[in-house]
Amino acid sequence: MEVDIQSLETFNQLAAEGAQQATAMLAQMTGIQAEVEVTKITLMDRADIGEELAGQELVGIGFDLEGALVGDTTLVFEEACTGPIVEALPGGAAGDEMVESSVKELGNIMMSGFIDGWADFLGTTIEHSPPEYVEATGADVLPAADDPNEQVFVFKSHIEWPGEDLYFYIYMLPAYDQLTELMADSGTGEDAVPVDKLSVFNEMTKEGTATAAANVTQMTGIETDAEVTQISFAPVEDVPKQVDNKAYVGTAVEFSGTPSGYLMILFDEESAMNVAEALMPMEPEGEGFTDMHESAIEEMGNIMTSGFIDGWANVLETSVDHTPPRVVHDMGRAIIDPLAAQVGQHQEHAFIIESHMQTADLEFGCEIHALPDDAELRQALEELDVARKDETEPDVETIFE
Amino acid sequence: MKVYDSSTGTASSPEQERVKVGIAEYEVTTSDATLTTSGLGSCLGVALYDHGAGVAGLVHVMLPSADGVEDPNAAKYADTGIETLLLEMERVGANRDSIHAKVAGGSDMLDFSENGSGIGVRNMEQVESTLDDLGVPLVSEDVGGDHGRSLRLDGASGDLTVKSANKGSKTI
Repeated sequence: MEVDIQSLETFNQLAAEGAQQATAMLAQMTGIQAEVEVTKITLMDRADIGEELAGQELVGIGFDLEGALVGDTTLVFEEACTGPIVEALPGGAAGDEMVESSVKELGNIMMSGFIDGWADFLGTTIEHSPPEYVEATGADVLPAADDPNEQVFVFKSHIEWPGEDLYFYIYMLPAYDQLTELMADSGTGEDAVPVDKLSVFNEMTKEGTATAAANVTQMTGIETDAEVTQISFAPVEDVPKQVDNKAYVGTAVEFSGTPSGYLMILFDEESAMNVAEALMPMEPEGEGFTDMHESAIEEMGNIMTSGFIDGWANVLETSVDHTPPRVVHDMGRAIIDPLAAQVGQHQEHAFIIESHMQTADLEFGCEIHALPDDAELRQALEELDVARKDETEPDVETIFE
Repeated sequence: MKVYDSSTGTASSPEQERVKVGIAEYEVTTSDATLTTSGLGSCLGVALYDHGAGVAGLVHVMLPSADGVEDPNAAKYADTGIETLLLEMERVGANRDSIHAKVAGGSDMLDFSENGSGIGVRNMEQVESTLDDLGVPLVSEDVGGDHGRSLRLDGASGDLTVKSANKGSKTI
C-alpha cells in the first residue's frame, strides 16, 4: 500500500481542524478558550500509545466510529479539568453525579465537531456511538489493545487551557487497514511512501535505539529500558513542540546519505549530570555542569549517534555519514528550532523519528529525535524494497542478524 | 489569531493577562496584556507597539520569506508575518507612523549550513528589510549568538524582556 505525502498532509490537517472544531464547541458551551497546541499523525506500536499520559489521573470519553472511518476516538481530560469544566457549563454544579453526565454530554458535542470535517472531506457520514465514561490512570484511559505489538497510526492532539495550566487530549485510533486504504484512495500517487516499509523503518529505528541504549549501559553501567520508538508527521512549525521547553543537554549532528537530515540526542539536565558522572574516571572539579561534564556528553552523543545511524545504514545498505557532534545546552525548543527551520526550507511538513529511553533505578531520560529529508526518506524506503525484493516480507530480525 | 481587548481580559484579576504566542503565530493586544513566546533558536520574535493607541503585537517567525510558497501560513515567514501583524494592529486602532519595533532571537546555534549565511542571520536581514519597506523604525534588538531565547512583551510599556537559558535576562 502506497500513501503519498499529500494525503498524509491532508489527513493531518483534517485531524488538526477536527481538534480545533471540538475546542470551539467546548468554548461555545463553557466559555473556556482552550487552544490546540499540536496535532500529529504517528505510526507506533499499539502498546506504546498513551505512554506520555503515564501517572496522570484522567477522565476519558470514548467513542466508536462507524461508517467511512472505523475505529476508536477518546477525548482525554486531566481529572482536575472536569470540576472547572462542569462549573463553567450553564447551570453547572460540581456534584459528583453531575460531573459524569455533564462531561459525557460535553464530550458528545465536542466529538460531533471533531468528525464533521472528516465526514465532509470523505463525502459521506461517520457515525459515533454514545459516549463511554472512563476514569483511569495513564494510558488505561484509552481502549485496550487487541494486539499490543501491532504498529498502528494514531492521530494525537494536545490541547492547552491557558491560565489554568490544564491539558486535554484527543486520540483517534482508526482501524489501520481501512485508514491506509482511505489515504491511498485520496492521494494523487505522487511522492508516495510505502506504508508497510514505514513500519519496517520504525523497527529499524527501534534496533538503532536498542544499540544506542546498549552503548549507554556498556559505558556507564546504567541499565536502560522502556524504549519507545515512533515516526510522526507534522507541519514543520510544529516540530519544535515535540520537545519540552525545559533545559536539555545533548548533541546534534547533520547526517548525509540516503536519507540525510539531523539527529539530536537530548538528556534533561539531571540525566545529563548522571550520565556524565557515570562516565568520568574521577569526581569533577567545580560546581554544576562543568566542561568535564560537557565533554563526557559529547563523547556519549558521538557513540550513541553512530550506533543509531549505523543501524539504518546497515539495513538500507547505504552509507550514512554524520558531522562531528555539536554539544548543546539550552531550552529544548530552541535546540530543535534551527534544525526544523533548516528542514523547513525545502518542505512544509516533516517526518519526525523519535525514541525515548529511561531507567527505573535513577533519574535518567534520553530522547532521540531525527528529522530526515522527506524526499530522501522516500527514496531510502523504495531502495529498501528493491534491496530486499527477493524476500517476501522484509524481516527486521534477519536483517539485523 | 485572537485580538485580546478589555472585554476578554479578566478585569477582576490584579495580574496582567498573559497570552502565549506559538511558533508561526501572532497575537495582538489592546488591553495591555503580556505577550510571551518561548524557545527561539534561529526563529525571531518581532514585537511591534504603538504607545499612543495602546496596541501591541508579537509574531514568532521561523523562516525569512514566503516567496514561492503556495498558500503560506503568513506568520511562519518574516516578510508576511510582520506585514500581517502590522495590518492587524492598524485594524484595531494602531497608527503606522507611531509603531516601533523590537526584535530578538535569530541565533546561529546548530547552524549546519556550510555555504552562505545561516537561517538566523537571513531571518534578521529579512526583518530589517521588511520593517524598512513598511517604514517601521527598529528601536532595539538582541539577536545572534549561540543561545536560545524566550520573550515577554509588556503590552503597556512596550518593554521586551529577553531571557536565555544560560545568560540571564535583559529588557530591551
